[in-house]
Amino acid sequence: MAQSDPPGELLVILRHAPHGSSWLREGLDAALVAAAFGQSVTLLFQGEGVMALLEGQDSGALGQKGTSATLEMLGMYDIESLYVDAAALARFGLTRDDLLLAAEPLEAADTPAILAAHPQVLVF
Amino acid sequence: MILHILNRSPGGSLVYRDALASMGPDDRLLLIEDGVQGALPAQVRHFEPVLDRLFALREDLVSRGLEGRCDEAVQVVDVDGFVELTEEADKTVSWF
Amino acid sequence: MRYALLVQGAPYSQQASHSALRFAMALPERGHRLDSVFFYHDGVYNAARLAAPPQDEPHLPDAWRELHERHGTELLVCIASALRRGLLDEREAARHGKEGHSVEPPFELTGLGQLIELGRRCDRLVTFPP
Repeated sequence: MAQSDPPGELLVILRHAPHGSSWLREGLDAALVAAAFGQSVTLLFQGEGVMALLEGQDSGALGQKGTSATLEMLGMYDIESLYVDAAALARFGLTRDDLLLAAEPLEAADTPAILAAHPQVLVF
Repeated sequence: MILHILNRSPGGSLVYRDALASMGPDDRLLLIEDGVQGALPAQVRHFEPVLDRLFALREDLVSRGLEGRCDEAVQVVDVDGFVELTEEADKTVSWF
Repeated sequence: MRYALLVQGAPYSQQASHSALRFAMALPERGHRLDSVFFYHDGVYNAARLAAPPQDEPHLPDAWRELHERHGTELLVCIASALRRGLLDEREAARHGKEGHSVEPPFELTGLGQLIELGRRCDRLVTFPP
């Protein structure tokens, strides 16, 4: 693993961009609840899920809630193990400077070890 | 060992690429639902890195008329075989 | 082994519910116990009390109920997903001032914490996404 902390109990893989569907929000909800139940949670923003990390998001035209406010609360829930799919960042032409959270870029070759290290993996 | 479960066809969704990239050297991949279209000889090359660990659910092949068209590298399992694969794995990860 | 299933696809729109049900029916035959099925996202529509599919199609809500009756499997419905989609049991209907209710036992409205608890308690948690 890329970081020295012991692996978490639950890995939540977020693969959907904000607003287009509720998957991102519901995945984050699952992560927050798990953390509130005392589990150590790791998040991996993968594929289009990297869009969740973009700076400057807003609510929808009808007031639909986005997810950036939730992301800013992750620290309060002690969710500090954050990874972002490095290949997906590159695919969308983004860099770490575009992100609202300090997530660690994860190379494809290191991804299997992250999945193997967590007893439970949920994909949203 | 993780059992990865994929319900999307490689012809219609790129999720299979992230699933493959997330697989460890002993992990297995089970194609279900629309995913079984990936078992066709013309599609199975997408799963080249895991051909020795590639499974497809028989009843989803049968209902789609694909059972006889499956590539011979793919190991076809019935629903009991699906359960057995989950027994043998430490955990399962479902991609969509 | 003790199993739990997470069902996230809408019945009759995606195959997820059918796949999950088939898997659920195969578990006892291999000596396993299915503790719970957790319905999340559009999967909560599996709990629709008023579902009336044509007679020549599988009746999913009834099939889940039968699973509960035969094996004691808990049918847990995420309350946050359900309320947004108009799926309320009698208590929630009263609380929100609605005249009818659309969820009834053995389906239970419950929090996401139950899903996390299942992941911890069961040997295997298998997800059936849309």
